[in-house]
Amino acid sequence: MQVGLSGGHPQAGRDQAIQYGIAVLTVALVTAPLLPVLYQSVIDRALYDAGHNFTLSNFSRLFKTEGFGEMVWNTLLFAALTTLIAQLIGTFAAILFGRTDLPGAKVLGELFLWPIYLSALVLSFGWYTVYGPSGFITMVWRDLLQGPVWDLYTIPGMAVIAGVSQAPVAFLYCMASASMADPSLEEAARVSGAGTFQTLRKITVPLLMPAIAYSAVLNFTVALELLAIPLVFGEPAGIMVLTTFLYSQGVAGIKPDHGLTATAAALFLVIICFLVWLQTRLLGNTRRFVTLSGKATRPRLFQLGKWRWILFISTVSYIFLSVIAPIGVLLLRAFSSMLSPMVPLIEVLTLSNFEALFSEPIYSRSVWNSLLVSTVAGLLGTLLIALIALVVHRSEFRFRDLLHYVALFPRAVPGVVAGIGFFYAVAALPDLGGIRNTIWILVIAFTMRYIPAGFGAVAPMLMQVSQDLDKAARVTGADWWTACSRILIPLMRPALVACFTLLFISCFKEYATAIFIFAPGSEVIGTSLLHLWIQGEAGLVAALAAIQIIVVGVCVTVARAIFGVKLYG
Amino acid sequence: MAELVIEGLTRRFAEVLAVNQLSLQVSNGEFITLLGPSGCGKSTTLASIAGLDRPEEGLIRLGDKVFFDSTNDVYLPPEARSCGLVFQSYALWPHMTVKANVEFPLILRSVTSLEMKRRVYEVLELVEMTAFIDRYPHQLSGGQQQRVALARTLVYQPDILLLDEPLSNLDAKLRDRARLWLADLRTKLGLTTIYVTHDQIEALALSDRIVLMQNGEIAQAGPPQEIYERPSSPFVADFLGTTNFIHAKVISKDGTGTTTFEVGSMQPLTLKTSHSLTPGSTAILALRPEHIRIASPHNHAQSAGRFRAVIKGHAYVGGKWQVTAAIGSDVIRLDSGTQITGDEIDLIVEEHIVTVFPGTKSFETV
Repeated sequence: MQVGLSGGHPQAGRDQAIQYGIAVLTVALVTAPLLPVLYQSVIDRALYDAGHNFTLSNFSRLFKTEGFGEMVWNTLLFAALTTLIAQLIGTFAAILFGRTDLPGAKVLGELFLWPIYLSALVLSFGWYTVYGPSGFITMVWRDLLQGPVWDLYTIPGMAVIAGVSQAPVAFLYCMASASMADPSLEEAARVSGAGTFQTLRKITVPLLMPAIAYSAVLNFTVALELLAIPLVFGEPAGIMVLTTFLYSQGVAGIKPDHGLTATAAALFLVIICFLVWLQTRLLGNTRRFVTLSGKATRPRLFQLGKWRWILFISTVSYIFLSVIAPIGVLLLRAFSSMLSPMVPLIEVLTLSNFEALFSEPIYSRSVWNSLLVSTVAGLLGTLLIALIALVVHRSEFRFRDLLHYVALFPRAVPGVVAGIGFFYAVAALPDLGGIRNTIWILVIAFTMRYIPAGFGAVAPMLMQVSQDLDKAARVTGADWWTACSRILIPLMRPALVACFTLLFISCFKEYATAIFIFAPGSEVIGTSLLHLWIQGEAGLVAALAAIQIIVVGVCVTVARAIFGVKLYG
Repeated sequence: MAELVIEGLTRRFAEVLAVNQLSLQVSNGEFITLLGPSGCGKSTTLASIAGLDRPEEGLIRLGDKVFFDSTNDVYLPPEARSCGLVFQSYALWPHMTVKANVEFPLILRSVTSLEMKRRVYEVLELVEMTAFIDRYPHQLSGGQQQRVALARTLVYQPDILLLDEPLSNLDAKLRDRARLWLADLRTKLGLTTIYVTHDQIEALALSDRIVLMQNGEIAQAGPPQEIYERPSSPFVADFLGTTNFIHAKVISKDGTGTTTFEVGSMQPLTLKTSHSLTPGSTAILALRPEHIRIASPHNHAQSAGRFRAVIKGHAYVGGKWQVTAAIGSDVIRLDSGTQITGDEIDLIVEEHIVTVFPGTKSFETV
């Protein structure tokens, strides 16, 4: 027998260096926008000016600001109404599409999910085009049918749009919960003599309560963070919420009051932190309450009987009115000079909106910038997230629990707060490598924001890879990094594709962070949409929105068809 | 190669002591089996040797190379130990061919391509897998995967071979064949080997020495035959092979070691034992089924080792009958070549083969 070759471990410290490097990078990325916001909130002048004094006067000034109380009330009312609408529709849809013999339930369920793929900004424009004061359906309703007209420029009006857009979130959580519930619980109720609707009311819905509660908190959080709908519909009517307050104070104002903005942002951060903490608490409880059965039994579908076709027609109408019409009419508007029920469509069809869009360098540049930023942030983000997941779940790194916590923290940072934070960070720090006013600051900010989402796509998959596989590599002589790069990363490929797609779409839709940190030359679709909107260029808005819808649609379809990647749910 | 020394190894998981002050020496070329029920600490011990698990206390060294030493805070990472470990799951990398799997350890050691080719071929020849060199793991059967896993481990000539239940994922027939093949390979290689299993037949057939573990401690260690025939505790007797336990009371003992016990309902049973037993004390008798014979009902000449039992049931199990019988409240099992009739039966045990455990304290069975 020959003498065994000694194990190959070229640099003993390499593993640790990489692990510390990833941890430091992650902490820097996550704290970069947060520290400046917190700091700015307790000093008496703009943080790029010399000679700060610490003060708490920003807080008292904020509370004394005219309309502050009303703004807080508007925000809470809007979020609460949105959550209520989203939960009602989402839960109802989950039961209807998931648990009954409704005709075409699968296709309707797919269509129902559409709003989740689109940005709230594009949806707002869609609703405006259809249900706005001169919207297509508004005109049909008012002028041809003489019906009473609705007003979207109110808090309930905004909440309907937001609620319909957020309903898919409640739907997904309820579906997941319903498919895991033990069907024998319902069967037991049926056997004991309960009818269809009694069983639904007494057994099925109560079993969904944990999922409803969790998605309610999630939707409430999203509604608080929502900027697009209050900006498009609230602002013109003088309805101010927290996000639009931050927007007008931080960006739109002629002389921005940084102390006030930062203080409001810091308060906002605290509220969202609390809600995210509540989500994790509820999720822990969900696992305790939901009755799991190991068997892959399919629950029996409820028979709708005579209600079957009535519900089918109502559902199709709902999906037509809330999903197909806003998106479809917006797309039509992109390809026409004007839209009106009085004018035949064929007479107004044109490509002039796109010609106008691409003849203007700002707008064509914003499309290319969006593609570039989304691709680069998607790639860098996927790489970083994969490395974080490897350190958190597959290393003996001493601070891996802390790293896990930090990596998930951006969940608690609203998009507008991240935008303000990066804006301050760039303003306060010396211009590092000349990234100020370039697309690179957008890449950094987007990467930071979507670490938790990407982590959610990568970590479960990594945990499914048997630990024996990397242990085997270690024993045969590979150090941690070699085991990761040669064994684990290749095995994680499907999850990394899903992560990239998710990041690409999220970045491509982004507007709330970008509006605070973009500059001439680094416009993206989100910022240009707002710019065009303010100028009243409805045709160009529709054309730009159409580009976003088509790119996202292609991404979702390709990812699902080729890689079998399931985004969301 | 050198001897493996483990001293005072202790590993806690929360409040549970998985391994408790375990000490063991394995000499060069020795084949040792860690045997025991699940949760006895055998896999934790193996993981500690490989470096995949870090114990709290103790010392592990292979020759002069200290793997782990809690007093001097030495902990060698797994990649620096040059151990060969075959996983229960085989842990073949699914995205690599057989060739790439076996080459991987050599690439890490910067072996020249010519040498690599030779050694990969040599080791695959050894495990009879050269025909499958370009296959992916999922295209192989369980037995073939196991051979590739072994080849991947042997290709870098580890200082010690660790096998973690390598046969447990194979079906019964394949397992028998793989065991014979492994026994053959073991003679060819002469590598110091630690084999973890809960299967007593594997342990008995392959090992130089069996280390039977219970609750993180060594219950008994010794050559297979010694452990099987002279178990040191009811637990060992029960875990290795089938054992019938009979509660007994010592009646009398003479100078030659012939002892009379009382079993069942006032029934005398005479055996030979080297234990010093005082009359009136209690004991447990351990009887292997294969050592119990059915006595001819008409021959009452032999009285040593003879006792009577009540038949509780019998079942034909192919070629023989399995009989369940009761002595008082103790139920025993034995085999019979012929069908048994009647309510009671006279049995004889070889008097010197019965193992006697003084004291009637209840014992843990497996």
